[in-house]
Amino acid sequence: MNWRRKDLLDLEVLSADEIRLVLDTAVSMKEVLARPVKKLPTLRGKAVSTLFYEPSTRTRLSFETAAKILGADTASLAVAQSSVSKGESLLDTAKTLAAMQVDLVVIRHASAGAPHFLAENLSLSVINAGDGQHAHPTQALLDIFSMREKWGDVAGRKILVVGDILHSRVARSNAVGLSKLGAEVVLVGPPTLLPPEMDYLGVRLAYDFDRELKGADAVMMLRLQLERQRSGLFPSLREYNRLYGLTQERLARLGPDGVVLHPGPINRGVEIMSAAADDARSLIETQVTNGVAVRMALIYLLIGGGTADVVA
Amino acid sequence: MLWLKNAYVVDPIQGVSGVRDVVTRDGRILLLGRNIPADRLADGGEMEVVDCTGKYLFPGFVDAHVHLREPGQENKEDIASGSRAAVRGGVTSLICMANTEPVIDNQALVELVVRRGRQTGLARIYPLAAATKGLRGEELTEMAELQECGAVGFSDDGRGIQNGEIMRLALEYAKITGCPIVSHCEDAALAGQGVMRRGRAAAARGLAGIPATAESVMAARDVLLAGETGGRLHLAHVSTRGTLAALRAGKAAGWDITAEVNPHHLILTDEDVPLTNSSFKVNPPLPSAEDRESLLKALADGTIDMLATDHAPHTWEEKARPFAEAPFGMTALETALPAIWTYLVRPGLLSVERLVEAFARRPAERFALRAGTLRPGAAADMVLFDPDYEETVSAERMASKSANTPFLGRTLRGFPIKTWVEGRLVFER
Amino acid sequence: MSTVLMDSGTVAQTVSRMAREIIAGGGGSGEVVLVGIRTRGAPLARRIREEAAAVGVELPLGLLDINLYRDDFNRIGAQAEVRETRIPFSVEGKRVILVDDVLYTGRTARAALDAIIDLGRPQRIELAVLIDRGLRELPIQADFVGLSVPTAATEDISVRLTETDGRDEVLLRKGDEA
Repeated sequence: MNWRRKDLLDLEVLSADEIRLVLDTAVSMKEVLARPVKKLPTLRGKAVSTLFYEPSTRTRLSFETAAKILGADTASLAVAQSSVSKGESLLDTAKTLAAMQVDLVVIRHASAGAPHFLAENLSLSVINAGDGQHAHPTQALLDIFSMREKWGDVAGRKILVVGDILHSRVARSNAVGLSKLGAEVVLVGPPTLLPPEMDYLGVRLAYDFDRELKGADAVMMLRLQLERQRSGLFPSLREYNRLYGLTQERLARLGPDGVVLHPGPINRGVEIMSAAADDARSLIETQVTNGVAVRMALIYLLIGGGTADVVA
Repeated sequence: MLWLKNAYVVDPIQGVSGVRDVVTRDGRILLLGRNIPADRLADGGEMEVVDCTGKYLFPGFVDAHVHLREPGQENKEDIASGSRAAVRGGVTSLICMANTEPVIDNQALVELVVRRGRQTGLARIYPLAAATKGLRGEELTEMAELQECGAVGFSDDGRGIQNGEIMRLALEYAKITGCPIVSHCEDAALAGQGVMRRGRAAAARGLAGIPATAESVMAARDVLLAGETGGRLHLAHVSTRGTLAALRAGKAAGWDITAEVNPHHLILTDEDVPLTNSSFKVNPPLPSAEDRESLLKALADGTIDMLATDHAPHTWEEKARPFAEAPFGMTALETALPAIWTYLVRPGLLSVERLVEAFARRPAERFALRAGTLRPGAAADMVLFDPDYEETVSAERMASKSANTPFLGRTLRGFPIKTWVEGRLVFER
Repeated sequence: MSTVLMDSGTVAQTVSRMAREIIAGGGGSGEVVLVGIRTRGAPLARRIREEAAAVGVELPLGLLDINLYRDDFNRIGAQAEVRETRIPFSVEGKRVILVDDVLYTGRTARAALDAIIDLGRPQRIELAVLIDRGLRELPIQADFVGLSVPTAATEDISVRLTETDGRDEVLLRKGDEA
């Protein structure tokens, strides 16, 4: 299995084998993370730049850590969304990066397709670190990696993704990736946050969390943006929490090797109760570590270059 | 004098669809008939003869919906460049919208547009004036005086009039002029931050959706208001089945309502939208496949009266942005007829007679323009059309200042090869 | 045209001899551990461990993937697949025996040295190879050699092992002299 792609923009274009290659490579990368010296010479002389048009310290740090462990130099360009309209266009910013001989750009942007737009216009590699409501492929890969680490394989497992599906790129990418690997995905949320057209994903949509818990192997809780209530999408946090919050009681109904995931940062007491977040079945902290390993794997595959015939 | 021989002439007003000769003199149609004998033309002086065998001769097309961007946004388009684009696309009369900067809501600006149009001397330019001052949807414009200066109708196109009472008053007041109110139906709250039609395609692209009801709810309101007031209503760029239902009901009740459809809504659907090509971003957005089907049927059966382009130029810089950030709009003056021919007429979805009726006769009638026919005595605004001429749509060839068309790079078949306005050859391919 | 340098019997005898030398020999006083370099160093190291176990010496075994340490990334070609490095012991203060099939330019050994050093500070690192074909590009030598064969760069050495290739043999192929 060879990797031939320049960019990682979304999971829709990847085959199941390509997804497995990323995950297998990440296993090797995770071993490096356990070493006393967490530093490789692999990408010495390569430059990785993060271009974040939405604030996200966690994700940016995860990418930068991954790049640094692999030996690459990193630079970060934090752009406030407001400066886009008055300042340089996305295309001009990207061209500047290309002129600086950057090898890989990691971009997060509030507009769907912004990474695709960059990738079409630049010869350097692009990783999508989240574009609007569209896709967040590295988050999905690390979620899948975490479940696979726990179970060996996700095929045949029932995974509930719960919450604000409408606005979630994490839900979309997970549904795409998990389906390709043979898992059963059910999207769960209130109808106002789970519009019928989400069935384009080819997965089941459900409003009743408690009913779906039966036989579920994993629940992935999505972060609830509090401004959704103000826009009238649901009446109260209280009722949201009662219907869709992850409590200890609901957690107890998971299968024997059931797990809890959350892309973070978590709203304790809103979509997930503290006790559930800190439960032994929670993979939330493991997800963070695995995030670095998966991003190392992707960066390596995209700009590692190289040849298969090792000279002995 | 000009003698066009053996053209396939289509002119629904005269019930003509067949091989004819057309003779013009002094900018007017003189004769239309079969095998006109040369001796009938002996007294006419110098005669230019054009062999039109295998070609169609149409009345110059009449586009009821164009954004010329002048005054204020001449980097996108101006009256001169828009006029060149029009005749290159076979359009000899056009109605331009008032959402310029500043808004065309006073006499001076209406006169400016009329004057610039005459100075350019290509297509005939007819302005719509704003229905409310500054397009703010709050106070009516001075419709009677605006009409005297040359406005042929009133519209806040570019945005919907959110306040139902203001729309009711506009329909009432415009009765003084006899001109239609052209309604851009879009409920701002329902449309929200959407950038393409709500549905599976939008969900898959992670783009915020505009529900079909954002249009049809307001269309239904306006149809009912037209019924109540007896006002004259024209629905711009109809794109949903809900709007068609309201339109059918209003017409069945005998109310004074007409409607237009844009070619792109008949040819493309939401599934065609590429995430990285904002030339497919248009308002109203590209419809679902089901809506497209219904629109085609409604155009064929006359529920929808006319074709109009909604030519909406934007600069490359404005469009070279992520989809959600780019402005709405497509250029269409130069591609509409070839695209309609390639995707609708050639496959048999639209008859050539209905094309001419919907894109020449009906808009001329609705807005009381002297255009849309080749009847003897009418102005010799004509298009010679080669159904087999092929051209690949390219930005370099455009007469328009902008090239934000979804057909860029596509090879279309069927182009205007000569365009005359008042007997003068204004474009030749 | 290819010449058989070793058949399966010779491979077995050679591995056995190397195991004895490793147990007996070398300098240092640290505990001996084996680290097989993927791909074919891995089964070789496993066989050495079995030979040692047969005479009552237990040698801990680790596997090393050196792809992340290679210096030829920028050469055009397919992506090298990174496999897991599994070294279930600390290398701190140990006598580490790196095991590989062929020693040629020395670049693989160089990468393996870097990789081991990133894992800790061994007391000593030694290198065991089944074939030393010469033509070094780096100042690296083997401590334990199954067979030394002087070769030309146009020639090709092919080590086949049952675990990876279905049978044991070592072939020398002439290059494209035509």
